[in-house]
Amino acid sequence: MILRLENLRLWRSRRPYLAAFGLAFFLVLMLVGFYTYAQTKTSGGADFGYTYENRSYFNGLTFALYAFYFGFLLLLPVFVCTEGGVQVAGDTSSGALHMLLTRPLSRARLFLAKLALSMALAAGITGLLLGLALVLGLFAVGWGDLDLYPGVLQMTDRRQHLEQSEALARFLLAWPAATLALAVPLTFSLWISTHAKSAVNAVGTSVSIYLVLYVVAEIHFFQELRPWLFTSYMPYWRGLFREELDWTGLVKDASKLAGFACLFAALAFRRFRSREEA
Amino acid sequence: MTAQDDEPPVLAAGVCKRFGTRTALDGLDLEVRPGEIVGLAGPNGSGKTTLLKLLAGFLSPDEGDVRLFGQDPFRQQKSVMRDVRFAFAPPPLLGSLTAREQLSYLARLGRRRAEVTRADVAATLALVGLEERADDRVETFSFGMRQRLNLAQALLPRPRLLVLDEPNDGLDPLAVIELRGILRTLRDEHGLAILLSSHLLIEVEELVDRLLVLVEGRTLFAGAPARLTAGRERILIEAEPRDAARELLAKRGIPATPEGAVALALPAGSVELVDVVELFNARGIRLESFRRDVPTLEAALLATLQGEVERNGRTR
Repeated sequence: MILRLENLRLWRSRRPYLAAFGLAFFLVLMLVGFYTYAQTKTSGGADFGYTYENRSYFNGLTFALYAFYFGFLLLLPVFVCTEGGVQVAGDTSSGALHMLLTRPLSRARLFLAKLALSMALAAGITGLLLGLALVLGLFAVGWGDLDLYPGVLQMTDRRQHLEQSEALARFLLAWPAATLALAVPLTFSLWISTHAKSAVNAVGTSVSIYLVLYVVAEIHFFQELRPWLFTSYMPYWRGLFREELDWTGLVKDASKLAGFACLFAALAFRRFRSREEA
Repeated sequence: MTAQDDEPPVLAAGVCKRFGTRTALDGLDLEVRPGEIVGLAGPNGSGKTTLLKLLAGFLSPDEGDVRLFGQDPFRQQKSVMRDVRFAFAPPPLLGSLTAREQLSYLARLGRRRAEVTRADVAATLALVGLEERADDRVETFSFGMRQRLNLAQALLPRPRLLVLDEPNDGLDPLAVIELRGILRTLRDEHGLAILLSSHLLIEVEELVDRLLVLVEGRTLFAGAPARLTAGRERILIEAEPRDAARELLAKRGIPATPEGAVALALPAGSVELVDVVELFNARGIRLESFRRDVPTLEAALLATLQGEVERNGRTR
């Protein structure tokens, strides 16, 4: 019953719809960005369907992958941190938590319901971003085989070529892989949420810390710190878009992320179970 | 472990709770028995909310023991809450749900679905006068309607102990009277124990069997409300000229102290009306009025508080 109640509250809130709208808007912006870039490169002669990048390798799948990569780094963590942040702190500030805690319901069950729904939403918006990116790529650019070259996005260190069907299968695998990576900022923000009195504080704090850790993980100067930061492992799913899959490396990174997620979830639960509701 | 039938609904002994250096509750004792309404009163910051949070298991006492039906609400929350229901102030509601959904979901949390039927939900909404707004979202409700819904969620399914925090806030006078009727019915016909918290004594004095008054975390008064006013009754007379009347009464050994601009206050039972009339007529003093003065609970409490301050020489 608590799962059903929390589910109803989630869908009656604006959060899933804001996330969906934000992701759709982001993809349109990405498309416009690619188009204007191509117009500049071709002095205004770009054919929106095919020629605004080198058509030999740029197509709808490349667009979907780039768009998903940017969205995964910048947008999805904000939405999952928002979801994690509002769970406990939002209910604390509204008084709803007091009402739920005076029911014959264990704190463990309430916590698990909140965690499960947040994870489901994270999986949902990750799948939505991937799906929308692919659909937009198909209709606005057109699919083909996926070719990746070394570049600033660090997608690969050498040229990769995947047949269209194989590339689509990899996109499908990227969905759970990216969801697992997002479970870390989600559980982290849930932990912050158990310490905060208001959702705004919880979301603001967790998003800020995520961004700082992301920047630190990207800067060469902090190389020694990287192994200790969950943000270093989050883009591990890029490894799925290689001709030869390095399963050992993928599983290793996924395990580290799962470890971080379990640690933050355990800390959040410990705090939620024992804290006083002053 | 389940709640014990033979244990009192509320039993708190020597409860202390501190927040940093501030002592919110200091050695509080409280017992609420089945079938009685106990009022919890006191000014803002007196410790009422802290006590309610201890009962709800939101806080753990620093000293002393809190038991609801023999169980610790902080450590055995799930089991305790099967028999206890709270209505906090301000009403903490789930705004995105309709009144019917809220009542239905909350009532079924931690219970089997069959324990609360749709008819139960409808009947409870009707009881608090919300049947016509049952399918409207709670976020569109006025404060008074939220308060009614808050009461409804506390009544379904019917608990054995009901704890209400400022239940009259936002209710119109008719609704306040209806609420009193509902609470009396629950006490008299269903044997519910009810703890009613309010910062206004006038709201609880008509309803409660016993009263606990807190001031700065300590118990100022505990007992039947009548005990608070007992011994504080007076006789108020108005006579012209007042000073002559006062002197005359003093000569007869009756202490009379000026009360306001025109009246004299005499100890209750010190004199009868016929004697005063006879006495004053003989001396040409005109008696304007003679009446018994029973102080309100608030006035009696204020006098008790002042007495306490004088005894201590200072407020704590």
